[in-house]
Amino acid sequence: MHAAIDPDRLQRELEAIVGPRRVSLRSVDLDTYARDMWPRLLLAHRDGIPPAHRPHAVAWPEHVREIVAIVRLARELRVPIVPYGGGSGVCGGAVPLHGGISLDMKRMQQVRAMRDTELVCDVEAGLSGERFERELGRRGYTFGHFPSSIYCSTVGGWLATRAAGQLSTKYGKVEDRVAGLSLVTGRGDVIETDGPSRALRGPSWTQLVLGSEGTLGVITSARLRVAPAPQLRVYRGFETPDIETGVAAIRRVLQRGLRPAVVRLYDELDTLMNSLSSHDEPGAPEPDPHRAPVPPVETGALPAWPEPPAPEERGVIARLRRLANASTLKREAMHAALGRSHLVNRLAGTVADKLARRGCRMIIGLEGARIRTEIEAALTFAELEAAGARDKGEEPGWDWLRHRYAVSYRMSPMFRDGAFVDTMEVAASWERLLDLYHSVREAIGRHAVVMAHFSHAYPDGCSIYFTFAGTAPEAAAAERVYDAIWRDGLEAATRVGGTISHHHGVGLLKAAYMAGEHREAMAIFEAAKASLDPDGILNPGKMGLRDRMRGQFQP
Amino acid sequence: MIGPTGTFEAELAAAVGPEHVERVDHAGGAGSPGSPGGPGQWRVRPGSAAEVAEVIRRARAHRAAVHPVGAAGRPPPSVPEGEPRPRVLVSTRRLDQVLQLDETSLLVHAQAGLTGLELERVLAPRGLSVGDYPPVVLTSSLGGILAVRTPGKSSARHGFFEEAVVSVSAVLADGRTVHTRAAPRRATGPDLARVLCGSEGTIGFITSAVLRIHLRPEARLVAAYVLPSVDAAVSAIYLALREEAAPSGMRIYDAAEAARHFDGLSLPPGHALLCAATAGPTDLAACDRDLIASAVAAEGGAATDPALADLWWRRLHAGEPTPGPAPTLQVTATPSKVRAVYHAMVGALAAAGAAGRAHISRFDADGAVLFVTIDEAEPAAAAERLAAVERAAVAAGGWLLGARAHKLDPYLRALREVLDPDRIMNPGALA
Repeated sequence: MHAAIDPDRLQRELEAIVGPRRVSLRSVDLDTYARDMWPRLLLAHRDGIPPAHRPHAVAWPEHVREIVAIVRLARELRVPIVPYGGGSGVCGGAVPLHGGISLDMKRMQQVRAMRDTELVCDVEAGLSGERFERELGRRGYTFGHFPSSIYCSTVGGWLATRAAGQLSTKYGKVEDRVAGLSLVTGRGDVIETDGPSRALRGPSWTQLVLGSEGTLGVITSARLRVAPAPQLRVYRGFETPDIETGVAAIRRVLQRGLRPAVVRLYDELDTLMNSLSSHDEPGAPEPDPHRAPVPPVETGALPAWPEPPAPEERGVIARLRRLANASTLKREAMHAALGRSHLVNRLAGTVADKLARRGCRMIIGLEGARIRTEIEAALTFAELEAAGARDKGEEPGWDWLRHRYAVSYRMSPMFRDGAFVDTMEVAASWERLLDLYHSVREAIGRHAVVMAHFSHAYPDGCSIYFTFAGTAPEAAAAERVYDAIWRDGLEAATRVGGTISHHHGVGLLKAAYMAGEHREAMAIFEAAKASLDPDGILNPGKMGLRDRMRGQFQP
Repeated sequence: MIGPTGTFEAELAAAVGPEHVERVDHAGGAGSPGSPGGPGQWRVRPGSAAEVAEVIRRARAHRAAVHPVGAAGRPPPSVPEGEPRPRVLVSTRRLDQVLQLDETSLLVHAQAGLTGLELERVLAPRGLSVGDYPPVVLTSSLGGILAVRTPGKSSARHGFFEEAVVSVSAVLADGRTVHTRAAPRRATGPDLARVLCGSEGTIGFITSAVLRIHLRPEARLVAAYVLPSVDAAVSAIYLALREEAAPSGMRIYDAAEAARHFDGLSLPPGHALLCAATAGPTDLAACDRDLIASAVAAEGGAATDPALADLWWRRLHAGEPTPGPAPTLQVTATPSKVRAVYHAMVGALAAAGAAGRAHISRFDADGAVLFVTIDEAEPAAAAERLAAVERAAVAAGGWLLGARAHKLDPYLRALREVLDPDRIMNPGALA
């Protein structure tokens, strides 16, 4: 049964709540809010295919009471609400599958209070990540959360997806740093999930709402744990003969109780691509030191390979170099490279093997209080060397830090030229980690060029970040290849006991894999959904939850 | 449909074996389901998660209440109003196995009936440890530690106990067993293990959990300091924590408590004793000790006889007796409120003409726990005095042990209603 939404009434009612200037039913806005940065949608967008799902209206609330009124309105009209932050999600979590109201949170962006003695900052959900960090920096603190999307993602988006920043090994993922949340539930109530979390009896509502991607409530603000800004930063590069040695070295560091801020270990192809890519190409934005939370360091030269490649390796290297610098890559050359992904994966392995007798690149950084960081750094570097890693000095470390946001901006030229690029971030315990690496790499490698790095390490395990690039003659075929990559990759991850997402979330992309991920425990998520959103109006059709809006509307 | 009690008992016996079922008439006092003429009350001891599931399925068929009972043997919640129902006290005592030990990932999968200390005894010979949690917490069974949220299951070095939980296995009211999936971290919706934790058996009956464990530290150092006031001692601790010290234990004694705990120790009035333990790689343990010593110096304190710290640590971890009586009440406070709550409680005691003393312990980023002991001369006034101290603590921003966020009760009720429409899972808890 399809109920009709009366757009005039919807507009009238929304205007009565937030005023006429903060509601839009204009086509250009509805198109904009039809998608996030999910690469599969970018494929269609690139080919000029109009969005399949548009909201009926977009609203920009500024107060919690407005959100309460909008939720009550949506309940009454039985229309969906999709919270929308920066729109930087890569899983389609903000796609209005059944239309409804896209609730753009970005006008709620106040830092409400900084409680110095508690090291807790109360902040509204719509605040941009970069501005939040800058506000904290001014007060001498850091949240320690630096996703590569920091310029275009919001605090609320981080919380809703359980995001991770690049320095999560020290500061934790975002869910590790939340003292409490305020949200508007699907019943239209305002609730707070805090109190001293350790004293209040009952289940942890904070940990229930974190990661629920707008399906249980609209997060309006949060009490976040901050840390004093680091007094000292120590970054270095290391090299290990192979990933096995590197993985074991990282595990030893973490399990000894040492907490580097960042550890990244690149597999052979990722190491090679990194060494071939040039950071000073036009179009790659140089982070502004006044805006970005990076230390003031001078620009240095990139590390060069110590030996020139053998003649037979030059062709492949040239091809890979073009891939690594996508914006300079000719369309034909790229398709030629990506069209033979098996070959490239294999060749790259062989070449990397030969070329990089120097093995796998590792970046490690520590930061924090002056004395303790100094001591931890010494212990960490000694542990790495004892485990067989070779010290490459400071420069590779600082170089990574300088360019750590650049990668995200590099993908769009490849899209423009007809290829697609995406990333798959999975995780497992140390015992299963290499299984996870080989299984997922093999599964993706059937369809695309794939490389990986290990990052976000914990005492009990680590995440692996796969980057893959593929191509197809036209959009429909590209979508088929794309879907096959995800199907095979995620099934491989589940099979070896890994998780299907470490920090990008679920959205639409991984919704079908949630049953395999959680099995019977989905019953608890479903029960929470029934409790917090009895009418099923909040972000319906996502995360593998029962979709009560299915068939309700024809957007 | 409530069948005859004889049938139910036979079904329970079939589920767990007759030797593990006993009818208990005494527990729960007069008017309990077990008293003569009541609908019946049994204690069962299932030996596996499958047996727990079978007991819960049988209980559901008879609309009998299921109450988990751990090592502490805490009595079940009082019978809620309404129709009398049979009741099954499900002991986790036989769920005492380590199911898997993954020494590569430092993970242990342990059954719910094992106590923290029993698990520690399994781990210690292998150079492993549950973590630096207060030993008194570890005397409970793991199921109990996880099912009930209390302050104090925390160490500045290893965090809150629930943060060690990687996954939980539990039986739901319909007899389904759920295993939340283990991963170091994930972004696949809510942390369902953390929803089961703290739910006091109302969402699911926890049968086992995968926990993060630790290597035993290479070094452990203890030290004791005297500071000019309790406030200065609290400040010193948070100063050191800001410098990222991660001690495995810290405790502040006020002068009266110090005199009681350390025979013959006489601090100047108003002064405080601080004991601290640090652990880890030797250089880090020493670094943390030195950071604490510097913070103490900055607050006007100085090191004192290390034998005091040794004694404190032996009492905590080696079973040496602590002078009684047990503290009268526990209050938790966030870092900025610890001092005010301490003074409010001591002030309320003085105003009531009573003598009392306190120690403050379990410091972490969330705050600390204050343990107050009221020296009672006339027990008649005890309840009133206690109430006065509690009121003062709450007024100063403290939280009494076991406080609840009542605004969320309707949501918890609705969630339970979906999973457990017959309300068999520990009814009366969190109500």
